[in-house]
Amino acid sequence: MAAVQETIDQVRLIDVDQYKYGFESAIEMDKAPKGLSEEIIRFISAKKQEPDWMLEWRLDAYKRWLTMEEPSWARVDYPKIDFNDLHYYAAPKSQSGPKSIDEVDPEILKIYEKLGIPLREQEILAGVKTSKIAVDAVFDSVSVVTTFKEELKKAGVIFMSISEAIREYPDLVRQYLGSVVPTTDNYYATLNSAVFTDGSFVFVPKGVRCPMELSTYFRINEKNTGQFERTLIIAEEGAYVSYLEGCTAPQRDENQLHAAVVELVALDDAEIKYSTVQNWYPGDKEGKGGIYNFVTKRGDCRGHRSKISWTQVETGSAITWKYPSCILRGDDSRGEFYSIAVSNGHQQIDSGTKMIHLGKNTSSRIISKGIAAGVSQNTYRGQVSAHRKATNARNFTQCDSLLIGDRCGAHTVPYIEAKNATAQFEHEATTSKISEDQLFYCLQRGIPEEAAIALIVNGFVKEVIQELPMEFAVEAQKLIGISLEGSVG
Amino acid sequence: MTAHTASPMTAAETALMDAYTQQLGDLPGDGAVLSARDTLISELKASGLPTRRVEAWHYTDLRALLRSIPAFDATAFARGVEPLVAGSAVLRVVGGHADGSNAPEGLTVTTYAQSLLSGTAAGDLAARGNDDAIGQLNGSFVRDGLEISLADDSALAQPLELQIVQGAGQSHLRFPVTFGMRSRATVIERHLSQSETGALVSSVSDLIIEDGADVTWILVQEQGAADTHLGQLNFELGADAQFRLFVINAGGKLVRQEVHGVVNGEGSDFKLRAVNLMGGESHTDLTFTLGHDVPNTTSTEIIRNVVFDRARGVFQGQIRVAQDAQKTDAKMACNTLLLSDEADFSAKPELEIFADDVQCGHGATVIDLNPTHLYYLQARGIPEKRARQMLINAFVDEVVEELEDEALVAALEGIIEGWLDSHA
Repeated sequence: MAAVQETIDQVRLIDVDQYKYGFESAIEMDKAPKGLSEEIIRFISAKKQEPDWMLEWRLDAYKRWLTMEEPSWARVDYPKIDFNDLHYYAAPKSQSGPKSIDEVDPEILKIYEKLGIPLREQEILAGVKTSKIAVDAVFDSVSVVTTFKEELKKAGVIFMSISEAIREYPDLVRQYLGSVVPTTDNYYATLNSAVFTDGSFVFVPKGVRCPMELSTYFRINEKNTGQFERTLIIAEEGAYVSYLEGCTAPQRDENQLHAAVVELVALDDAEIKYSTVQNWYPGDKEGKGGIYNFVTKRGDCRGHRSKISWTQVETGSAITWKYPSCILRGDDSRGEFYSIAVSNGHQQIDSGTKMIHLGKNTSSRIISKGIAAGVSQNTYRGQVSAHRKATNARNFTQCDSLLIGDRCGAHTVPYIEAKNATAQFEHEATTSKISEDQLFYCLQRGIPEEAAIALIVNGFVKEVIQELPMEFAVEAQKLIGISLEGSVG
Repeated sequence: MTAHTASPMTAAETALMDAYTQQLGDLPGDGAVLSARDTLISELKASGLPTRRVEAWHYTDLRALLRSIPAFDATAFARGVEPLVAGSAVLRVVGGHADGSNAPEGLTVTTYAQSLLSGTAAGDLAARGNDDAIGQLNGSFVRDGLEISLADDSALAQPLELQIVQGAGQSHLRFPVTFGMRSRATVIERHLSQSETGALVSSVSDLIIEDGADVTWILVQEQGAADTHLGQLNFELGADAQFRLFVINAGGKLVRQEVHGVVNGEGSDFKLRAVNLMGGESHTDLTFTLGHDVPNTTSTEIIRNVVFDRARGVFQGQIRVAQDAQKTDAKMACNTLLLSDEADFSAKPELEIFADDVQCGHGATVIDLNPTHLYYLQARGIPEKRARQMLINAFVDEVVEELEDEALVAALEGIIEGWLDSHA
């Protein structure tokens, strides 16, 4: 491209504004001292007025964690994390239980406004049933406000922060917590089990179709805090729920740690749809700062004919280590994974899924679209396995990678394991660059190069975007455009 | 990977270490060769045989699978057989002893024992890396093999068969082969065994295919039902060279065949075709890595696997495309027929791409025979057993037929049919 001054200026402008969610919020925070110890865990548990069994559970996980080693198999490279140099608890000080949205600190509301969380908007839209979304906003580690609680209660749906749920529905939480991702699962999940501070809890009782989309907004605000949220969603027999999760974090120099655990349980004929748009701070142009995102997400299709569907749009974080998985335990159960992973700058993504076929006639579908630009590394890592008794297990996997620029990398590492002759597995993967013909076609019609690339990329990921709830699909498309800004030239 | 080094040595590991001490005085070569051997055996001792935790051995836990090591037996009976394709030139390695005489015109052949004794082999012995257990094992114990070179611009009129016949006990062999510029050749590397008790063979072939050469290499592994075969084929491909590699695994109890290639000449083309037939309680692993290091090269790989009984099959395939290797076109397909509920198959086809102007893809499928196809044949009066054989045969034959030489195709089809007759 000829570098006219105008273009240079434009690109510079984009760089400055590249991370548009990178503002800090001056809100008084209540923090635990740095470091991790039994005392800190007791402190967190006491702060949350948790029952004894919960504290024991945490301490047990902590002891286990001390004996574990940080995994090194992923294709990500980062300096060693000092787990004692982090705050494990940070809560906005003015968090003394807002009863309604009006009682929430206006500063916090302002942040949400900047983020574009449609809290207010939702109230206005309250009359329009179909587009209603109940939001649970998690600010650093603490759930600040959950909207539409009353209305959900009428339908029998429990949607609240997990801290509240531990206090109000201890038996329910105790029955399911850790039943999908046990405290011993992996390094980060075990750490999370010890120190998780908040997250969302959803319980949809038998036969209930959740009347609205549920949504959580995570935001890491305070310096040096690790955010460890824990989400637990249970859909009883025949229930249905669609859950959205969006994440942003302010721009900071240091790396911030995020290690979440999400557990989904679907009983007979239940369906859970879980969508994520992750746009945490990816670090600056030199690769300084950004979020380390080490997440364990797993769904258990425990019942017959149950279905769990993961959709993710990953555009943020310096490092993403994330494999939303499905355990297809029930007969005729189904798992789906739709993913868009966009990496630019110095980002490193190692993400994919696991489909573990245990029951008869189980099926799964994986569509993964990776886009690498800048000097980023983008890896798809996935496992599909059919166990001895998984008669007629079926899987279709397609993972396509798109490379923009010659200094990035795209990698595909699938593990395909069949232990049953009636299993049918199909896997295909392609890697290529943006077609010059397509680009030329757009340029010729006067579409600027950057817009043309965004257009082509959006075409490339369309299959996944279609799986997102409508409100999110629009946002996700814009996000992909923003993430790729500055990748041309 | 420090976690498992502290664990006590297995019987096989102890046997290997003891064997090294016992054979030390009698292994060919001293000086640099000996010190290379010492390094390799101490590497192997330090890391132990690889387990699942070593990524390159993820599906073949050699430490658990290799239970015992047959004693070295210099007197074991073994005898050469007729070549696979009539009229081929034959160079034999029988019972671990290579015979370099009777080489056809244009070939320079010396035994690897000579290269070890003269010390010229010292530079080739180093392992590929920490996880190269085959290289370590082979380099420590290697006694013989054949060092072959084909002169520039020469062509072999007939196929060359490297016939490796193993009796009881163990053999560790090396085959460094250089194909000169613009040379043409077809080579059959054929591993047979006449042992009933379970032999151990490790074999490393190092091929250098120079600019403009056109080479077909056929690796046929038909060892005995109780044997362990640890094979490795390394190659480097020069500019405008053509290399077709056929691998047929139709034997062995524990088989790991590695193929590691580097494409470092522009305009070259590589093809891998493999047929892995697995039955009984065998474990067969084909592991393949290919580096495209320069621009404008192409490669395609087609792997067909047939798994019966309680067999376990593994395919690992990794294609790396370096940042400079623009315009690479690489495609890999791994198709598996899984024919028993007690069998299993694991595949890990990897792409590692650092260049943007490339076309790379891979596909992998695992499936049973199509019942409608079976029905079609049975409806026409073909008995089920025969119908199944026909379908399986069609599945693998597609790959073999690509070898245009009729005599060669017939020979390989004979091996496949013979195997299917005794297993299907």
